[in-house]
Amino acid sequence: MSYRSRAMTRLAWRNIRRHVRRSLLTSLAMILGGTLLMISLPLGDGTHEAWIESAVRMGAGHLSIEHPDFHASRKIEDRLSGELRASVEAALHTPELRGRVRLSTPQVNIGGLASSPSGARPVQILGVDPVGEAAFTILDEKVTAGRYLSDEDRLAAYVGVGLSERLGLELGSRLVVTSQDGSGEIAGQLLRVVGIFRSGVPEIDESLVHIPMATASEWLGIGEDVTRISVLVDTSADVDATVRALTATLSGPSLDGSLTVMGWREAMPALDAAVRVDDFGNYLFQAILFSIIALGIVNTVLMSVLHRYREFGVLQALGLTPRQTGGLVLVEGLILTAASGVVGIALGLLITWTFWRDGLDISAVFSEEFSFSGVVMDPVIVPSFRLARVIQGLVFILVIGTLASLYPAYRATRIDVAEAMKFER
Amino acid sequence: MMEPSEKEAPAVHTRDVWKIFEQEAGEVPAVRGVSVSIARGEFTALAGPSGSGKTTLLNMIGGLTRATRGQIFVSGRELTGMSAVELARLRLQEVGFVFQAYNLLPVLSAMENAEFPLLLQGVEESERRARISELFARTGLTGLEDRLPGKLSGGQQQRVAVVRAVAARPALVLADEPTANLDTAASESLLDMMEELNRELSTTFVFATHDRRVMDRSRRLVRLVDGEIESDDVRTP
Repeated sequence: MSYRSRAMTRLAWRNIRRHVRRSLLTSLAMILGGTLLMISLPLGDGTHEAWIESAVRMGAGHLSIEHPDFHASRKIEDRLSGELRASVEAALHTPELRGRVRLSTPQVNIGGLASSPSGARPVQILGVDPVGEAAFTILDEKVTAGRYLSDEDRLAAYVGVGLSERLGLELGSRLVVTSQDGSGEIAGQLLRVVGIFRSGVPEIDESLVHIPMATASEWLGIGEDVTRISVLVDTSADVDATVRALTATLSGPSLDGSLTVMGWREAMPALDAAVRVDDFGNYLFQAILFSIIALGIVNTVLMSVLHRYREFGVLQALGLTPRQTGGLVLVEGLILTAASGVVGIALGLLITWTFWRDGLDISAVFSEEFSFSGVVMDPVIVPSFRLARVIQGLVFILVIGTLASLYPAYRATRIDVAEAMKFER
Repeated sequence: MMEPSEKEAPAVHTRDVWKIFEQEAGEVPAVRGVSVSIARGEFTALAGPSGSGKTTLLNMIGGLTRATRGQIFVSGRELTGMSAVELARLRLQEVGFVFQAYNLLPVLSAMENAEFPLLLQGVEESERRARISELFARTGLTGLEDRLPGKLSGGQQQRVAVVRAVAARPALVLADEPTANLDTAASESLLDMMEELNRELSTTFVFATHDRRVMDRSRRLVRLVDGEIESDDVRTP
């Protein structure tokens, strides 16, 4: 650092210390902003992570490997062959992906009709590996009657509470599911209800039926084929990198065009939109909050500049250029906002840390079960900590501090030195 | 006409300098066609009653305010066309200021105030400290280095201001009513000190004053009345 820079920094720091009350007032506004930022961002991220986790564990995972046409057609003919499935499962166990992938499970997902003596309903039938799916899904924990599927089950069905009510089903009741099979013919399958669940999402509770994979394969005549392989990763932030790594691992002449790797944003556009809208709302709130804080800072720093009119005149008489005089005001603003920003962020993290283990219970606000886009709102928000958010917050605060100091700095550059010498405090 | 080189040029040279202030009532000329040359090493007073234009002339010479018309040279360098940055550099290298109200930076100690222009010039710490210590010793400020301006008397503050003005070894020190806030003893002591610095360092001193004691000590007295030079007397000490 040059002697001049050292002199300017020393002067800036001493001026901040000299006006303790004014500096503290300015800092308090920024500390409050930083604290709120570091409470709202991890809580917002935690909320989104909970939404995403809830949605991906209801079915398709953080990412899914499917036939390129399956997402749009939802037809059984757009499925992955047994060989492709084996290639994908081998790829998921390579060293590059093993560390990224938390869980993976094959699924057969088809639309069909469920009938009972009481009526018929359109349903989504999910053929699953009972053991693998129990680790993957959260629906096994939502059981209200009976149990989830087991490895020994053959003609078993695990149905939503809405569907059971519509079709008058109870534990042990029989139902028939009908769908197009692997050869394009209509095929039916008799099943017996072994468990009933309540996910909290009416659309799922009224339409989803889990059946054993072996039953689905035999019924539909598709052997080892599946419609998708669903994958869970540690957090949604890992999805993009895992999609890239998996796509790179699966690329090759024999696989090109026969499958696609799809992240949750692509697979669940409604949830993606909900997260983006909520993020936008948070950013808008932060922007309004920090605009108010910035106005406060502009006011106090500008008052400080006007109060020190003569001092800035003296500095220019001693040889400081107008730009350097403005720079001094900027340095003061930056020191103040950086220090208070760090304190605010630390305070915010400290407060948020108290919620990390048990989460923030907002059930008083959401007294009833609430769901949207296939997601159940959990009334307990567990904050999500990301280093990138801390850096982002600090940079944001520094930018706001700099912007707020620009006008007062500009005023300091416009001082009439001769007039400033006459200025009485 | 060729201007003399910077080394042989007078410390200050003005040629038909005017300063006219625009006011609601119309144009108010504060300085009217002043031409004066002040050689290096002079100890000169610009004297006159309030409103005679002496402070305005001093500010124009120091590049703190711009002349409406005419030319001003400091160490042979013309100020008229200089940008704000060039004027700031000229002040840093060539001009030291002493103000009536001392104008020390309140958050810096006496030593830090005095060395501030040297820091801006990029002078090494050892050189800075040596220069300031030597000047503090000359001016009776030794022992007060770490005091903030608020803990110094008026006379001590003005001495620090003079040290600050001469420490950077400028060609010219401009002092605007330097004794106006001081009692007789402090004024005499300050003038002794400035005379000594003028004599030993050959620094040119130009005062704007209406203090009889300053006029009596100066070796040249330029009297201004209504913005014009009324008399210009070189005096024998």
